[in-house]
Amino acid sequence: MTIKKFQFLLIVLLGVTIASCQKDPSTSDLQQDYLVYTAHDSDVDFADFNTYYLPDSILLIGNSDQTEYWKDADAQAIINAVVANLTTYGFQRSADKETADLGIQLSYVKKVTYFVGYDYPYWWWYYPYYWSPGYWGNWLGWHYPYQVYYGYTAGSLLTEMVNLGADQESGKKLPVIWDSYIGGLLTDSQSLNLERTLNAVDQAFAQSSYLNK
Amino acid sequence: MKTSKYLAIKAALLTVVMIAAFQPSKAQIFYNTYINVDWQYNVPLGSSFADKSSGWGMNFEGGYFVTPNITVGPFIAYHTSIKPIARQTLELSSTEALTTNQKHTLFQLPFGAVGRYNFMTDRVFQPYVGMKLGANYAQMSSYYYIVKQYHDTWGFYMSPEVGFSVFPNPSQRFGFHMALYYSYATNNGKVLTYSMDNINNFGIRLGISF
Repeated sequence: MTIKKFQFLLIVLLGVTIASCQKDPSTSDLQQDYLVYTAHDSDVDFADFNTYYLPDSILLIGNSDQTEYWKDADAQAIINAVVANLTTYGFQRSADKETADLGIQLSYVKKVTYFVGYDYPYWWWYYPYYWSPGYWGNWLGWHYPYQVYYGYTAGSLLTEMVNLGADQESGKKLPVIWDSYIGGLLTDSQSLNLERTLNAVDQAFAQSSYLNK
Repeated sequence: MKTSKYLAIKAALLTVVMIAAFQPSKAQIFYNTYINVDWQYNVPLGSSFADKSSGWGMNFEGGYFVTPNITVGPFIAYHTSIKPIARQTLELSSTEALTTNQKHTLFQLPFGAVGRYNFMTDRVFQPYVGMKLGANYAQMSSYYYIVKQYHDTWGFYMSPEVGFSVFPNPSQRFGFHMALYYSYATNNGKVLTYSMDNINNFGIRLGISF
């Protein structure tokens, strides 16, 4: 091997080595815990609201083109956890959607993955049976009036609080005033998934103390 | 898969170095120069973004003997430090909060010029003192859930160093190298709620010299 060939080979190998030098950490253990993200509209005073309406089922978001709802005992346990936390913060559950101050919608992402950004919050247009503004009233659409970024992946629970007192007669959109995104709920164990979900729901409210009336 | 790729590359590099080093017709691979290839163990100092010591790094440098004792040449090195973060709640902004566990990594890639004053250059044991000056690229990363959030930063780099090379058979100029170093870089950055203001390290390098 001549010196020139060696120089060339050494430089090439050095370049390849440097280019592949960053050590990525093992992330498998990161999946063994849940993630909770919450965001809210800072212009809202949550003490102004007293009652909320919460359906008795959780919407399932998957690949089906039919509306799917989750209503079994596990779903009721999750709904009860949300109710318990809202009660602790001084809100009262209402059986009348028309008169409630707030609406709470729970959605579980079963299969699909979407990304949601404040500047592109319209992913649900691709899902025909998501909680539509029409479910709650005569709003043209709905929106996040605050900064929010997160990804929807399989094994995620989304909780959104909408302001049912918002103006709906003049073409306005229904505002989401608080939301929580919980990830990491897709292990092989159904009981572990439920345990994680209930703990994560409690955490979502624990880190949202501004909801306390 | 990735580990085997690293090993293959490093094995190939070392093989070439070994072949070149034992060429009988040349005392040095390049006339009047030296080349070092080192593994390094790095210890971050202060409240670093990723403050765990680790051995995920290497150093490559070479120099030309501008006088019988002074060498000047280029260097490039890299290192990754990793720090696990237990689950905690972060106030991302006035309206957002995030509860998660994480892994932080700080990848550093300094490069530039190295100058050394070498003592006893005709002996088997050849100590030296040196200084590296250059630029430092550093990437701060937080891994959480399925997300990698990172910030690329650049800064000025300086690193004083003391060390020695041992050449058991000076006629072939293939020997071993050891060094202690301190490094300072002016990189600043922020990921999530964690900020970094300058990077300080010390560490040890072990390698080969020819």
